[in-house]
Amino acid sequence: MAEIELKTAPADFRFPTTNQTRHCFTRYIEFHKCVNAKGDDSGECEKFAKYYRSLCPGEWIEKWNEQRENGNFPGPL
Amino acid sequence: MEIPMIVIELEWRFLTIAPCDAAEPWQLGSQDAATPIMQGIIDLHHDIFFFLILILVFVSRMLVRALWHFHEKTNPIPLRIVHGTTIEIIRTIFPSIIPMFIAIPSFALLYSMDEVVVDPAITIKAIGHQWYRFGGRRASTQPYEYSDYNSSDEQSLTFDSYTIPEDDPELGQSRLLEVDNRVVVPAKTHLRMIVTPADVLHSWAVPSSGVKCDAVPGRSNQTSILVQREGVYYGQCSEIRGTNHAFTPIVVEAVPLKDYGSQVSNQLILQTN
Amino acid sequence: MIESQRHSYHLVDPSPWPISGSLGALATTVGGVMYMHSFQGGATLLSLGLIFILYTMFVWWRDVLRESTLEGHHTKAVQLGPRYGSILFIVSEVMFLFAFFWASSHSSLAPTVEIGGIWPPKGIGVLDPWEIPFLNTPILPSSGAAVTWAHHAILAGKEKRAVYALVATVSLALVSTGFQGMEYYQAPSTISDSIYGSTFFLATGFHGFHVIIGTLFLIICGIRQYLGHLTKEHHVGFEAAAWYWHFVDVVRLFPFVSIYWWGGI
Repeated sequence: MAEIELKTAPADFRFPTTNQTRHCFTRYIEFHKCVNAKGDDSGECEKFAKYYRSLCPGEWIEKWNEQRENGNFPGPL
Repeated sequence: MEIPMIVIELEWRFLTIAPCDAAEPWQLGSQDAATPIMQGIIDLHHDIFFFLILILVFVSRMLVRALWHFHEKTNPIPLRIVHGTTIEIIRTIFPSIIPMFIAIPSFALLYSMDEVVVDPAITIKAIGHQWYRFGGRRASTQPYEYSDYNSSDEQSLTFDSYTIPEDDPELGQSRLLEVDNRVVVPAKTHLRMIVTPADVLHSWAVPSSGVKCDAVPGRSNQTSILVQREGVYYGQCSEIRGTNHAFTPIVVEAVPLKDYGSQVSNQLILQTN
Repeated sequence: MIESQRHSYHLVDPSPWPISGSLGALATTVGGVMYMHSFQGGATLLSLGLIFILYTMFVWWRDVLRESTLEGHHTKAVQLGPRYGSILFIVSEVMFLFAFFWASSHSSLAPTVEIGGIWPPKGIGVLDPWEIPFLNTPILPSSGAAVTWAHHAILAGKEKRAVYALVATVSLALVSTGFQGMEYYQAPSTISDSIYGSTFFLATGFHGFHVIIGTLFLIICGIRQYLGHLTKEHHVGFEAAAWYWHFVDVVRLFPFVSIYWWGGI
């Protein structure tokens, strides 16, 4: 297996505090907005997906994905 | 001849060279620092102690002098002094200046803990769980997620980290302080810890790294760690939260960067196959 | 006043109302718990307790009025007590309502991710601030102006005019409560609709409740004015009602600005 790349979501000046809840949520929103605007396979959105996967607890992502499928996701998409 | 306990204790206390990375019997001070933050905490403790000793000596001297000189035998006729402007100014000004001298390094340390100086190389999520059904036995765990290498929402390098039960520790393992899966992190690398619980309040704490980060439901807290030497660091859940609180140890294993890389890629191969 | 008394304080006579009020409160709490847990007779005990408390309030205050008007116990020194009491009560009410505005601002200034980080939350119907809320906002201060008119009439000794002014005050208050009721009836959301509904109805509802209390207070003052209880020199009850009313009408501006207007954008 090739050497893995050590890379994660960068520090974001919009979220300078210990509380990173909104950082994770914003990256999730940014990914889905990007996909809505540019399409699934433009390749530009993948970095946002990597960011939110790094920052969000898996349970939260599962819940939000479920909410989006059911159409009751509360965020601004 | 039996060596007296006190000699063993003294030898252990003053002559051991291995750094102290877990709680030990009769421990009086902090555990040894593995991160710059912990070094800062220890230094601040010593700084404050300087002022503490100064105040202790001065106040004790005043107290003893007062008891000695104003005893009814040495000084039977009391004076009628009710105030002295000079001493009142001095004893107001000095106690306000000393805390300022303590506050400066204290705030510097406090804000350096908040600071994310460089972009972290790795994000590790520690997710506190109180209840878990595992192999027919109830236990507490801190599952960890390494999600930097995911290519989808489902796939993720996740593992549970359970305490080794009281009745089967191996020789050399600390009671209720060892886990089955340690969190492996690279040394000399900037790490971002994301701490959140799945149920109740928890707190992810590793004394040697100078980290104690509360896990609050619905919120994810960030703390950064830079482990500077390889080793195994022990901590415990530090928010009294009820059932199983005592059975949630935390073990961090810092390894060289290349070992971390191969470990993670092996795990990824295991999980994808 | 009794001739032999050498001080200006009112030493009250024995009265059955403290114990009757306590028994009413006991019946209300026990009945309330029983009712909420569906015990038999819970509703009956709760209603009995409430009736008992209301009865005690009526007869106790009736006695206080008799001590003031017939027996003349309420000297200047005695009047100071209720004055301080009213002021402290209003201060505590300010703190009470402040807590609800704090809750509302806390939830709306940085909305949590659970409601998508947006305010008002998605799917919440928001009232247009420039319809009934804006219409309702100047009514209470106008009512406050009318109560000042009543105060001046009392001070000038024009008793009939004071009654008219109080009728005007109470009418405006009732119009305001009516509009508020209409607004609630037409509101697109309820108190169980997310943190928006909770903070909105808690803050505006408690304000409305205070308007109703103030209205009752003013109605009592109007009746007492009509009966000639209030004089140029001695009208503490009216003053307390006026202070309370000014508190209520000024506070109305805060929900309008922060909850209806800003919170609805």
